[in-house]
Order: sequence, then structure tokens, then C-alpha cells
Amino acid sequence: MKFKTPILPGRLAALLLALLPLAARAAGELNLFGWSEYVPQPVLDGFTRETGIKVNFETYSSNEEMLAKLVAGGGRYDLVQPSDYTAEAMIRRKLLQPLDRARLTGLGNLAPAFNGRAHDPEGRYTVPYMSGSVGIVVNTEKVKVPVRGYRDVFQAAFRDRIVVVNDSRELVSWALYALGLPVNTIDAASLARARPLLAEWIKLVKVFDSDSPKTALLNGDVDLGVVWSGEAAILWRENRKFQYVLPAEGAHQFVDVLAIPAGARNVTEAHRFIDYILRPEVSRQISAAFPYTNPNLAARRLLTPDELANPASYPKGGKLESFRDIGRAAADIDRLVTDLKSAK
Amino acid sequence: MPGARPGALAWLLLTPLLAWLALFVVLPALLLLGCSLGERDEFGQVLWGFSLENYARLLDPVYLGIFLRSLGFAALTTALCLLIGYPVAYHLARAAPRVRELLLLLVMVPFWTSFLVRTYAWMAILREEGLLNALVAWLQPAWAPLGLLYTPAAVVTGLVYSYLPFLILPVYASVEKLDGALIEAAHDLGAGPWRVFPAVILPLTLPGIAAGVTLVFVPAVAMFAVTDLLGGARVPLLGNVIQNQFLQARDWPFGAALGVALLALFLVSQLGLRALRPRGALRG
Repeated sequence: MKFKTPILPGRLAALLLALLPLAARAAGELNLFGWSEYVPQPVLDGFTRETGIKVNFETYSSNEEMLAKLVAGGGRYDLVQPSDYTAEAMIRRKLLQPLDRARLTGLGNLAPAFNGRAHDPEGRYTVPYMSGSVGIVVNTEKVKVPVRGYRDVFQAAFRDRIVVVNDSRELVSWALYALGLPVNTIDAASLARARPLLAEWIKLVKVFDSDSPKTALLNGDVDLGVVWSGEAAILWRENRKFQYVLPAEGAHQFVDVLAIPAGARNVTEAHRFIDYILRPEVSRQISAAFPYTNPNLAARRLLTPDELANPASYPKGGKLESFRDIGRAAADIDRLVTDLKSAK
Repeated sequence: MPGARPGALAWLLLTPLLAWLALFVVLPALLLLGCSLGERDEFGQVLWGFSLENYARLLDPVYLGIFLRSLGFAALTTALCLLIGYPVAYHLARAAPRVRELLLLLVMVPFWTSFLVRTYAWMAILREEGLLNALVAWLQPAWAPLGLLYTPAAVVTGLVYSYLPFLILPVYASVEKLDGALIEAAHDLGAGPWRVFPAVILPLTLPGIAAGVTLVFVPAVAMFAVTDLLGGARVPLLGNVIQNQFLQARDWPFGAALGVALLALFLVSQLGLRALRPRGALRG
């Protein structure tokens, strides 16, 4: 044995590397990967103030972007925020880990309608964060004709006056609804029928924006939009001229959930964050900043009558439907939309 | 010493650079090539293999059109940068030293803020109820509002704005080195300003122009942030399509094939540019 030789540099580096996650754990850290314009900064600050856990917040603007980054392993995320149908695919692919429901004391606050949904019937992997729909916003000062469905929006008269979310599955589903085709069983034949209609529609769109589609409407750059209901609710709050319409042909209702990826390191912190979000007063803060449909009944009781009267946040009636995981067809949709948008 | 063969020491000193190139240029390019021959599964993961299907898809008129459009936008951007940037760089280099320092600083000032912030500022200027339209409405209400944002013109404006300094700086460097005696000699020999410029100044500043053109053209072809923000993501250029393949469509192999095609294009255009450069002006 050569005691003269100091520690091997390679092993020292390995040791330090091994200690790195320990250091992070001691300080308490949470790597949150969520939608942009969805998690208010005060909520993150409040969580850190109370628990000492530092939140590293990264955002995405589509389920696909989140999956691409998660699957590529570029970052280690402890908590993600997929939409229900994406969560369903992730559960099927074993990309999520089961939750320890005993650690989530606030689960009882959720409305019964948001438990046991098709994407996760036993609620083993996901907890609802916010819900909403995708509908039409009309600037009634500029658009004087009645707008009831997708075909009323995508007309030659409104060329370059339309903003839509930049989301392939959404775009294709609107064409399918307009054609009276199912949005959850998609095959080559239904895509072939949707294609020419969608090609026409895409040409009329002025802006594709999933992050903040309200901006183009607010700035007066467009007069119509097919957008997330929370964005529509903010517009209505700003100015009553922005009316929200659930498309007559049918509309997508989504439930965005919180879930822990299979490879997450800070599982305890992730559970604490979910439980924090489930608190009525915290969830209420989220509603105030991003007025989607709040699945938390206890939080809904804290909302003002004005907030509850917002037709985009809490629509009455409407033909709403959840998306389901469509497997292989998702790739065909991606390709179809890439081709059509590129052809503009 | 030009022309001398590098000795062992020179190679040793070059090793870090060569290692860097191998690790961060050659290896990723090979990965890209390998990926482009694969396929995607339904969840967007890459299945390695050997298929030329992605390249066949490139030949679809849609994507050929995007290639041409991207090259067109980049060429227009480069031409405008040259038109605006060359006179600026020329006068900058010929200004009195103190003024020159100040002007040079002004060229660099935009880099002190984030590029994205500056692009958002352009959105505030160009949008329908923005600054420019407010000015137009004040001057002549009948003209307002001009639809400026989310148009190809907005994209080119953003691109020219972003890349102008990259043309000014190399041209400035080459004008600064210009030997005034040569211009005087040309004047003495009877050449007027309209002769001197194409016969003397232009050839001597060609290396700076070539460097500037490359620095503008290459990134402009692949830019996606400006086209997304100012173009409303609806004027698809190569950069957007590639970015979309990686994040939205999750079709990495097709994105990689587009990347390889772009790489090949630059290689060919660089070789072409080299062939165009007059001998003797190569070292600049």
C-alpha cells in the first residue's frame, strides 16, 4: 500500500459528485416543470417562505414540449403539469411514479367531478391542478356577426384577424368536430378528411401562440381567437367586449394535473408542493391570477361572485369532452400539422 | 510564418482547439447524421436505424419551398445589412479617433440588453396599437392602422436589426486597416470617387465584407425566435421547422435530417465563397 499517494483525483471527483445530490437535498429543492402563464410567482414564493424549499421553475408551452424535454432527460424534474390525456400516455409508458396519497392531506378539497377521471381512474398518479376548456373569444366591438362555432371563426372574412393556440392536437380536433368526426379515435381516414379543411383554416390564422394568446387580442392585432379558457377569462375581466363562446360543434375540456416523473429525486418536496397547492387559500390565489376552472371546491367558496360569474372560467352548458391518449395517431397529427403549417 | 509547416510544438498548442472541435463540432454532427437516418416511435423517442425516408421527405415541395424561402429571407437580410452597414462601418473607421470610439460603443450598446427583450420592444413598436401606428395616425389618420406586426416585413426588420452589428464590425476592421496612401495614389492617377470605390476600396475591404456576410447570412437562415415573435409563428422558415420537430412534433430524426441538409448547404456556400474571393485578399 502506498500511503504517500494522495486520494486518486478521479475518485475524489466521483465522491464529490455523489455528495452533490445530498447537498441539494439538505437545502431542500424542487424542480418544477410547468405550463407558462399558469403558476403565479407569489404561490412559489409562499411555498419557499413556509418550507424553506427552493423551487426551480421551468416552463413549457405544450404537452409535447414537456414530453420532449422529459424523455430526452435534459433536466431532472420532480414535478410536471401535463394535461389529462398526456398524463394518461405517461402512465401507460411508466413515466410517472405513484403518489403517496397519505401525504396529501388536502385531497378532500377537490370536487368529486375531478376524481376518478378516465386518465387515472384511481387517482394513483395525478392530482388535478386546474381545469378549463378551449373555446372561441370574440371581440364584439369588431365582429358584429354571431359566432357560434369553428366554421363561424374560420371564414375568409376574418383572414388575418384570428389567433389560435399553437397546439397540433387542438387544431386537428377543431376540424374533426366541425366535420362531426370523433376526436378520440383518429385514423388515416379521419385525418384525410380533416386535412383540406384544416389547410384552409391555417391560412386564415394570423398568430399561433400558446403562451399568451390574449396578447394579440388585447393589442387589437386580431379580433377572434380559439384559446384556453383562462386566457379568455382574463380578457373578459379586462373588458366585457371579449365574449367567450363554447363551440357548438363540441369543445375540449382539459384537466391539467400535477404528477411526479419516474426519475424524480425530490419526491418528498414534490408531495409537499402538491399538498400546498391543494390548500384553499393557495388555490384561490391561482384562480385570481389565472382564472381557469378551479377543481378545488373549498377554494371556489373563497372566490368573489364576480369571479364565479366569469363565463370563461365557469361556463354554463356547452358540449364538453375530454381528450384521451390516441397513441400512434399523435405522431400522424404532428406530421399533418407540420406539413400544413409549412405549406403556408 | 506563412507557408511554413507547423512543428510538433504547434500541434501541441493546437490540441485544445482540435479536441474542442472534435468533441463539440464533429461528434455532434455525426450524432445528427446518425439520428437523421433513424425513425421516431409514437412517443417521440428515436429508433436508430438506417432509412433515407427523412431525406425523401425533404424533397417534398413543401420543404423545398421552405428552404428557398429561408434562403431568400436570409439573403434579403444580408443585402439590407450590407447596404446599411457598409457606409456606417466606413465612416466609423474614417472618423476622428475620439468620435470613432464613441460611435463604436453605440454599435455595441444593444448587446447590453437581452436579445429577446429587444425583440419584444419591436413588437411594442409594430403592433396595431403600437408606437409606429400611433405616429402614422397622428400624421395621416387615413393611413392608420398599418398591419405591420406578424408580417414578413416585420420578420426582415427584426432580422436586420439583430444582425446589423455583425456586419458593421468586420467591415469596420477591414476599412480601418485600409491604407490611405493607396486611395491617394488612385486619386493622383486621375480616378474620381466613382472609380476609386469599385477599383480600390471595395476589393481591399472584401475580406471584411465576406466575414460580415457569413456572420449575418448563416445565423439568419436558422433563426427562429425573431420569426416566431415578429412573424406570429406563421411564416415558417427553416429554423422554426427544425425547432418544431424537436419540441412540438417530437420528430427528432426529421429535424436532424433538416439540420444535416442545412449543414451541407453552408459547407457548399462556404466553398463557393472561398472560390469567389480573389487570391491575396484571403488573409484579412
